[in-house]
Amino acid sequence: MEFRTVVLSYPPDRESLERFLGERGLSLDPDIDYAVACYDGAEIVGAGALSGYVLKDIAVAVEAEGAGVASAIVSHLLAEEGRRGLSHLFVFTRPAAEATFVSLGFTVVARVPQRVVLLENREEGIEQYIAALGSERTTVPGISGSIVVNCNPFTLGHRYLIETAARECEVVHVFVVDEERSLFPADVRFRLVQEGVAGLGNVEVHHGDKYIISAATFPSYFLKEPSEVVATHALLDLTIFGGRIAPALGITRRFVGEEPYCEVTGTYNQIMQQLLPDFGIEVTVIPRLERENAAISASTVRNAIRDDNLDLVRSLVPPSTYEFLISEEAMPIVRRIKTVNSRH
Amino acid sequence: MKIERTGMAGSLESSDVLVTIDPNVGRGVEVVLKSIAESRFGKQIRLLIEETLSELEVVEARVQVEDRSALDCTIKARLVTAIHRAAKMSHPDWEHLS
Repeated sequence: MEFRTVVLSYPPDRESLERFLGERGLSLDPDIDYAVACYDGAEIVGAGALSGYVLKDIAVAVEAEGAGVASAIVSHLLAEEGRRGLSHLFVFTRPAAEATFVSLGFTVVARVPQRVVLLENREEGIEQYIAALGSERTTVPGISGSIVVNCNPFTLGHRYLIETAARECEVVHVFVVDEERSLFPADVRFRLVQEGVAGLGNVEVHHGDKYIISAATFPSYFLKEPSEVVATHALLDLTIFGGRIAPALGITRRFVGEEPYCEVTGTYNQIMQQLLPDFGIEVTVIPRLERENAAISASTVRNAIRDDNLDLVRSLVPPSTYEFLISEEAMPIVRRIKTVNSRH
Repeated sequence: MKIERTGMAGSLESSDVLVTIDPNVGRGVEVVLKSIAESRFGKQIRLLIEETLSELEVVEARVQVEDRSALDCTIKARLVTAIHRAAKMSHPDWEHLS
């Protein structure tokens, strides 16, 4: 048996991998950036793939089970991650494979019954993240609310959503998506949220890290096309939030902006309203703030930037975001917004 | 030796060990050992890890060792390689190794 990197840009290689996965009820995810296969002669008997720091699409043919193929594939994938300098890794897999990955040293982060299990290679991973949130926490007797935002970039719509939540709660925890897949870099988005909520005394801003709407918990959020797996990913992400993160901060409410534009976010919000009440979390949908009969959204702001319509931009964002957008530091980002046409 | 980036060596295959070294600024040495032979050899493996780290003068690192019943010499070799990769050194520091 021989292990080889699958050349994803070479159709015969890619097609044979897709066939192998397809026969096992898996499909090669569009965000895959590396794949390895184990060949017995010309035939694939095992395979696995990477999407950034996430191991996925791992399968072994029944006839090759027990020969150490699974551990060899995972080892190949881990070695590749090592070359990339990534050490905090996740596995996205089917429930039936949980035991295999636990025996290879991975720890379960969350399960969605019959659908998916997410594991990580650090025993203390999510516990450490949760512990760090706790230390930032102001203990309060009243209602703790929460909001998850990407803020690409921070608009008056975000400010309105957070203000509304802040009026109804003792404290509001705002989690900013950390994944680097948006036109505005994560550190800039985080900073603009911090600046944008200035003056609201009961708002705490947190990093979402790899546990809230990340490539591990919700990969399809970052893909352009809506797909059938969105629901599965939404369930996983919200199970982690409801089951692990919210209890640590005593969160009993989640606020979300109404989503008139994006199908993926729309599905996410819908599943949120079904699932979070099971965890004792009430979901409140806040209608979007409108300006001249159109809902304010970050994509409206990006479009205005693309059109060089600075007056419109100024009317949609708080001064802190506007100051940033006209600064030297924002130039490369503005240039990128003008050249690419991305949902994110 | 100063740990500057993630360094990995080894594998999860039977009789091997996967070692991952990460920077651990301000938090000293932190060893996470997972071994299928933990109850019988855990102590010995931890000692070996500590000795190797101190031979190479590593004072700050997060060391994750996933052992699949590797021999001591294998564990040490994987550790030394991972440390060198993490310290961005292409040649082993022979003088400090016993």
